[in-house]
Amino acid sequence: MITRPTYSQLLSHRVMRFVFAIGVIACANIAHAQHPTPAPPQHRSILITGGTVHVGDGRTIDEGAVGFRAGRIDYVGYAYGVKAVYDTTIDVRGQQVYPGLIAADAALGLKEIEAVRASVDDVDVGELEPELRTMVAYKADSRIIPTVRTNGVLMAQVAPRGLLISGTSSIMQLDAWDWEQAVFKADDAVHMTWPAAYQRGGWWAEPGETDKEKKDARNTRIDQLRAFFQHAKAYAQLGTPLQRDLRMEAMRGLFNGDKALFVNADAAKEISEAVLFAKEMGVARTVIVGGYDAWRVADLLRDNRVDVVLRRLHSLPLRPEDDIDLPYRLPALLKERGIRFCLGYSGDMEAMGVRNLPFLAGTAAAYGLSAEDALRSITLDAAAILGIDGITGSLAVGKQATLIVSKGDVLDMRSNGLTHAFIAGRRIVLDDHHQQQYRLYKGRMEGGQ
Amino acid sequence: MATPVVVLTNATLHTDARSTLLRATLLIRDGVVAAAGMNVAIPAGAQVRDMHGLHIWPALIEPYSDLGLPASTTDERKAEVKGARQGNAALRAEARAQALMKPDAERAAKLREQGFALAITHRMDGIARGTSCALLLNDRPVDERVARTDVAAHFSFNKGSSPDAYPSSQMGAIALLRQALLDAQWSARTKVHDHDVTLAALAQQLSGRLVVEGADRNELLRWSVLLREFGVTPIAKGGGDEYARLKAIKSTAMPLLLPLRLPEAYDVEDPYDAQEVTFARLKHWELAPYNAHRVDTAGIAFAFTTHGRTDLKGLWKDLRRMVACGLDTARALEAMTTDAARLFGLDDRHGTLAPGMSADLIVTSSHPLDEHNIIHETWVAGDRYVHVDPDLAELAGTYDLNLGDAIWKLTVKGVPAKLESTVRRASEADSLAVKVKLERQGPLVTLSFSLKDDANAITRLSGTVHAGGGVWDGQGQRPGGQWFPWSAIREAGSSSKDRNDTARTAPPNSAGPVHHPLVGFGWTSAPQQLTTIFRNATVWTNTDKGILRNTDVCIHQGRVVALGQGLQVEELFPGKVRPAITEIDATGRHLTSGIVDEHSHIAISRGVNEGSMSISSQVRIGDVVNPDDINIYRNLAGGVTTVQLLHGSANPIGGQSALIKLRWGQPADSMLIRSAHGHIKFALGENVKQSNWGPGSRFPRSRMGVEQQFYDAFHRAKDYDSTWRLWNGAKPKTRNASEEPRRDLQLEALAEILRSERSISCHSYVQSEIDMLMHVADSMGFTVNTFTHILEGYKMAAKMKEHGVSASTFSDWWAYKFEVYDAIPYNAALLHAAGVNTGINSDDAEMSRRLNQEAAKAIKYGGVAPEEAWKMVTLNPARMLKLDHRIGSVEPGKDADLVLWSADPLSIAAKVERTYVDGICYFDRTSDGQQRAIIASERDRIVRAMMAAKADGAPTRKARRERQHLWHCDDIGEEGHQHEEHDDH
Repeated sequence: MITRPTYSQLLSHRVMRFVFAIGVIACANIAHAQHPTPAPPQHRSILITGGTVHVGDGRTIDEGAVGFRAGRIDYVGYAYGVKAVYDTTIDVRGQQVYPGLIAADAALGLKEIEAVRASVDDVDVGELEPELRTMVAYKADSRIIPTVRTNGVLMAQVAPRGLLISGTSSIMQLDAWDWEQAVFKADDAVHMTWPAAYQRGGWWAEPGETDKEKKDARNTRIDQLRAFFQHAKAYAQLGTPLQRDLRMEAMRGLFNGDKALFVNADAAKEISEAVLFAKEMGVARTVIVGGYDAWRVADLLRDNRVDVVLRRLHSLPLRPEDDIDLPYRLPALLKERGIRFCLGYSGDMEAMGVRNLPFLAGTAAAYGLSAEDALRSITLDAAAILGIDGITGSLAVGKQATLIVSKGDVLDMRSNGLTHAFIAGRRIVLDDHHQQQYRLYKGRMEGGQ
Repeated sequence: MATPVVVLTNATLHTDARSTLLRATLLIRDGVVAAAGMNVAIPAGAQVRDMHGLHIWPALIEPYSDLGLPASTTDERKAEVKGARQGNAALRAEARAQALMKPDAERAAKLREQGFALAITHRMDGIARGTSCALLLNDRPVDERVARTDVAAHFSFNKGSSPDAYPSSQMGAIALLRQALLDAQWSARTKVHDHDVTLAALAQQLSGRLVVEGADRNELLRWSVLLREFGVTPIAKGGGDEYARLKAIKSTAMPLLLPLRLPEAYDVEDPYDAQEVTFARLKHWELAPYNAHRVDTAGIAFAFTTHGRTDLKGLWKDLRRMVACGLDTARALEAMTTDAARLFGLDDRHGTLAPGMSADLIVTSSHPLDEHNIIHETWVAGDRYVHVDPDLAELAGTYDLNLGDAIWKLTVKGVPAKLESTVRRASEADSLAVKVKLERQGPLVTLSFSLKDDANAITRLSGTVHAGGGVWDGQGQRPGGQWFPWSAIREAGSSSKDRNDTARTAPPNSAGPVHHPLVGFGWTSAPQQLTTIFRNATVWTNTDKGILRNTDVCIHQGRVVALGQGLQVEELFPGKVRPAITEIDATGRHLTSGIVDEHSHIAISRGVNEGSMSISSQVRIGDVVNPDDINIYRNLAGGVTTVQLLHGSANPIGGQSALIKLRWGQPADSMLIRSAHGHIKFALGENVKQSNWGPGSRFPRSRMGVEQQFYDAFHRAKDYDSTWRLWNGAKPKTRNASEEPRRDLQLEALAEILRSERSISCHSYVQSEIDMLMHVADSMGFTVNTFTHILEGYKMAAKMKEHGVSASTFSDWWAYKFEVYDAIPYNAALLHAAGVNTGINSDDAEMSRRLNQEAAKAIKYGGVAPEEAWKMVTLNPARMLKLDHRIGSVEPGKDADLVLWSADPLSIAAKVERTYVDGICYFDRTSDGQQRAIIASERDRIVRAMMAAKADGAPTRKARRERQHLWHCDDIGEEGHQHEEHDDH
């Protein structure tokens, strides 16, 4: 296995670099078809002032200010309350300041073009492979990633896809020269898909397998998972196993809380089974991904402190006569029941579609959630579910200065328009292939060519 | 085997379902009824049977069977000699049942046991299946059994064993048959192809009796539309859900063959499992037993078929259920006798027991619908088959069994064919009874049983039955070998004949209403076209008036009639007779024209692509519109009122579009915009090259090949068009009939394009291919109407403007396949800036209900003005569909297709409050809430009924989730290949 620095080592390493590096704030790169230059560490202290500050925890500050130096926030409050001196002051009056948005369960950087197999690295053969790590396949200079950043998403849990146990995710910040630099938290969670409880029915002219066979197949899969976890649990008790087993090594962290278990499940029965299974196996922290029926089993989730990464809200109801707006209302239903959740975007076109994450939150706000709670579901609560809220996810003194400034409401597509973005104080170039092409062809049109 | 003359006397004779003669006589001579009545003279030498206590009924007719005619196997098809016949292997019109018959004695016997004497049977294989014959269900040589040849010609939408790739979709099946029927007529007229046995057969069949098979109500209506073109009204074999479209089906005038089979209940004890059973399934389970009664009451002619039943015996139970749900008892029997005979023209010989009719009869113990009825015998053309010998004594009852050393109780249950028996000591409780092995051979009985505590201690009895079954006696052998005499005497009042019951079927639960369509959110009373005034709205007119605040809009008779501030009712309707007016306070709300989705694949049945051929211009989405798709309602809830249902993008030249208005609850026919200009789908690039699936062996595999396909097709279409021009231009008298050109549906559609009578919507992505198609069009003298998707349109904007083509694009999709790696969300803005008529479409059942959000992205990406962004999902696509004279803006004279929004429609907070089509409110957020409550209570009610049915012993099946297939551009086949990634747009 590749040895890699621990999370805290990585941080201190960065801080060292912050001190010695000479920061150059990149201006918008006007060259065409070029990947925006990753930003160097923050050199000069910055104060963003005058805008409406959305803290991420539900609070807003009108005419607020956020100050940060060496990558850390050292002021959040009203603009008039700023005491310290900053090298650079950016006046954002009339604009909106938010924490950088966080996408959980994203396949970002793992597939460039969905239909081109050569560019797809989010799934491997095999069914039980927790040892597969997404971060090593993460394409830091993906053409997709800058287009996601320009809509406000600055961090993502990069998750694998596949059957049963698909691999281990890492949390990445979206501005880096290479994957190693992009890693924010390595190997944060093992991802699993709970076997579906209901089969797709056949169709009148072509009935599928009988129910019995499918049920058996499902039980076999669950037995497979149980045996695998039992083995892993026993293995984890050995300090130095006689024979090293990479798969079991990858499972180790689930039992001591180093890693979370993210389980994909949508139907109420599947969710209940998955939660009870994880509990029985001694998994320290479980998160449900999908969670279409999570609101129906809220008590179980609450009792077991299980959070939910909700499936893409912009989707059709799973059952034909479910309320037509049920997917849109899932956040409000979970909120009412006291379940912590964040928003995911898995499914078709998931990598490129992550840029629409803020609009999912906007839809949640239109369907029963408050605007600040909607924001929270893609900032602070996402960070908390990913276990990184101690250092990011909201605008708070001491946290990393990962934030965005938008000319208007970032959750509405009419007004989502970033003017500034910072990751740990580093000023991100808000340019992408799309804007480059736009400028190129707009120029052509205006030049009458 | 038949004796020359048989006389059945003293019977309760039912010559048909409505005539009963007591103590009547039936005289059968040579398998034919010679006389039936009270005073029939018995000829000398006749075999006479006393039928006292028995009933005689006409035997049943199975009108839709494949008895003796199994479908072909693939190997057989490969080995088949094709001969001079129409090319497609799914067309087997020349097949004749009588020539192909392979006797199947076992199945015939099973039908006979249930009272059938005659089956109309055909080979259920292919789209044109050939003719059926009426087959007597006796054991004679086949030639003697065929009662009538070529009874009807049979058709289905299922290509069966055909190894040909075409058709792969239902619209393809329809197009194939339509072309074949046209060819048959043409060939009969011109005598050009009269050597073609398939076409010759089809031509002949068109003037006779046709039977078509539909899986459900919508398919029945499709058949009616298809055959109406040929002036034919077929008999239609339906799915048993006709009640859900009764009015439309009645109007087709098609007689029906209804399945004598009711749906099973589901296991719904677990509330989560129950949730997975759809509302439509629940409702159908409840309403299906009422179907026959409702069909009958509507005055639709029908007969029953058992086709599709695995458990033939259960038909009586299902039939009793239908009777309990209102079907008249006599009608139930007629549907299996006289009416079946009449529909197939066999009523001169079959269906009743009048003199001259075939002696097809059943002997029963009571009325066939009586729960305890026994079918003793079936006679087929005078041949007697005994199932349960009526002369055998009835043994059921409770007996005192005298074993010499003790009196035991013997209980016998069941019908004579299958007796079940137990014994116990007289002093013991019933629960201690042990099972008896009881065998009966004529008057002889054998019993054996062992005691509970000692399985080896077997007592065996042998004896004879006397006194009508009331007394048995004989010798027995005890464990150990000791012989002894025994006897059994039946207790008075314990035989079934003594039972004083008319077995009742469980009374029907009161059926819930029929929803239109029969899915969740279907309505039960049709929404009405009301005269409505919206007061004080912010109106997005899409005209040069722009966005008007505090404005009233009045709609009347499906049109917008007035728009302005402070509209006065007296001025609007100055006459004395004023319509009832609904006023809606729209203060703070926005009123717009309905969203028009240029690119949709919702509401399509069984295949969105005819992917078996690269040019499929003959297929029509309009043939397979599915009006029951819940996505219609969901689209309405997103403010969509008009959609173009496009063929997929598997072929360079796809199929013809259907333009529909979302008139939720109406049949497919009523959703089509009749007067609309014709449209057709074309496609370019990776999908037509099959770059991301398939073996890559189909031409074209490159963009070079795609261009040449177009040239080839259009050159052929040009020739075709000029041939017809010549023919049409010639004076009828100077025409030589044999030179009449053949109508070719594929080229006809292409010729329409050349004549600018049909417009192309072309799936397209990259610069080169966009340019190429415009060149093809320019050189062929037509204009491409719309490039759809057109993600690299921004690279070709000026040329597109010059050509005059519209652009219908995605707001922000990209990177799902190689040809969209250069797609940018600024595309719409750039095209719009270049003066191209630009729209934003969905191609997706989910996104189509958020097209307002997608339009708003044009503001974000490229700074399009809100009003112009809004036109991208309304007026601009209406222009593409050439419907902008009717829809796309809010102005007097236009269709009242309107949406009332809770906020600025481009804002993320906007929700649709009401959606109107033709002035009819098909979506209302308030009634949507009521619908949810109705769905919940109906579900609850039916789930309880299902549980009760299960407790009563009804068979059940497991709950299954039905995920609806959502079509995308490159889905192939009837159910599409199930790739989960959407590399298909």
